[in-house]
Amino acid sequence: MSTPTINLTSADASMARFEKQTTRYGSLTMTAGLIFSLIGPIYLVFFSGLQIAPSMIWVAFLAVAATFGVLWIVEPVTYFPILGSAAMYQAFMIGNISNKLLPAAIVAQSSIGAKPGTKRGDLAAVMAICGAATVHLTSLLLFVGVLGTWLVSQVPAEVIDVARLYILPSLMGAVLVQSIVAMKSLRPTIIAIVLALLMNFVVLPAAPAVAMFATALVVIASILVSWVLRDRKALVATTED
Amino acid sequence: MQPQLILAAGDPSSTNIWAIANTPFLWFCALGVFAVIFIQTILYSRAAKVAAPHVNMPARELKESFRAGAVASIGPSLAVVFVAIALLALFGTPAVLVRIGLIGSVSAETGSANIAAVSMGATLGGVDYTQQVFAVALVAMSLSGAMWMLSTLILTPIMKKGGKSLAKRNPAVMALIPTAALLGAFSALTIAELPKSSIHMILVAVSAASMGLCLLLAKVLHAKWLKEWALGISIAIAITAGYFLHTAA
Repeated sequence: MSTPTINLTSADASMARFEKQTTRYGSLTMTAGLIFSLIGPIYLVFFSGLQIAPSMIWVAFLAVAATFGVLWIVEPVTYFPILGSAAMYQAFMIGNISNKLLPAAIVAQSSIGAKPGTKRGDLAAVMAICGAATVHLTSLLLFVGVLGTWLVSQVPAEVIDVARLYILPSLMGAVLVQSIVAMKSLRPTIIAIVLALLMNFVVLPAAPAVAMFATALVVIASILVSWVLRDRKALVATTED
Repeated sequence: MQPQLILAAGDPSSTNIWAIANTPFLWFCALGVFAVIFIQTILYSRAAKVAAPHVNMPARELKESFRAGAVASIGPSLAVVFVAIALLALFGTPAVLVRIGLIGSVSAETGSANIAAVSMGATLGGVDYTQQVFAVALVAMSLSGAMWMLSTLILTPIMKKGGKSLAKRNPAVMALIPTAALLGAFSALTIAELPKSSIHMILVAVSAASMGLCLLLAKVLHAKWLKEWALGISIAIAITAGYFLHTAA
């Protein structure tokens, strides 16, 4: 596979090899991560006596797919031009791409004065994500795995019960405001909130059976209505924050 | 090391989530994901070290990039840790480590779990949040995360080959669909909390207001750290309010 002009394009050749290596390592490790993330739940379903019927899983999966299915495909497509192929395999396993990995890569590139998209910039970004991954894994293991587990075991049971009961409203209010601010698109925001209000205060009281797919229906309706009522004059820019 | 394959004695109707959520086998799987990412990090660093001299990049710059990335991620990592601890009661440690800490994000994963619980006619964290509901919620989160990884695995080589991605071909659709989908999902999940009880309604407002205030202050004071910690702070304020409202009621 070696070319006679290897010396002339030594930089290109070594970057090509780097791409090839990271693609192989990346896809292998990601597949391993995928398997580890699935065998846990599979074990719970089949070997823990929880009497889980296949239909429960299908219905839950369909409801989740109808809500987030679009993002499964759109997110990798959106991040690819920013991350490059090597970092894709890191990013989608480590998570927290926009709030942690991208800033880490940009800081690293600027600290050595490399431009994004150049060979030095690409290597700097990959090393920065390696650094970020090391810090992230260590702090998760230490502060959540060890300290967090201990902490929760020390807290009185009734406090845990209250936390469990109210974590969802305490989380979702903030998440909604965060995504509204991040998206910076007024029309889809109003459309989504109006549709969600209609669903929860008009449709569901009249037809409680819809509950199973309520979120999915709001998502699909939001996409359709936002598209029909889109601002045809304004340039639509992606605002990933 | 031999993983402990003790069959968990699950009870479908028990609400003791931690008994099933902290099973040794789930811990083993969580540590497996950690190990895989550590190995990936080592392999990538090595590949970068081999390539660097050929692009006139001294080893010193690689080290500097690694350190810069590590330092830059301390704040965001601790912010994730804080949110993850708040969710321990709901999902147990192994699931929180893998789903919230690593692969997914807190909003998408909690959303998936919530949707799965509702599909079973239960409420996440409510009185009917049984071990069975937890297991189905975990399956739903994991399958959803698996689809993300699968499409990354399939699409990355395709996008590498085909120069023109969908994003370039039709930017308007590509921007609008995910925006509308995300806003639709989080609006629906948030507003579904309102009819549950008056405390739920107040807490959604408290949490939303805290986030709004944090983001406003972060913008006015140019405090980037506050933006990172905003979610953790909002949860802490709302859950504290929830505790007092609950004990007062």
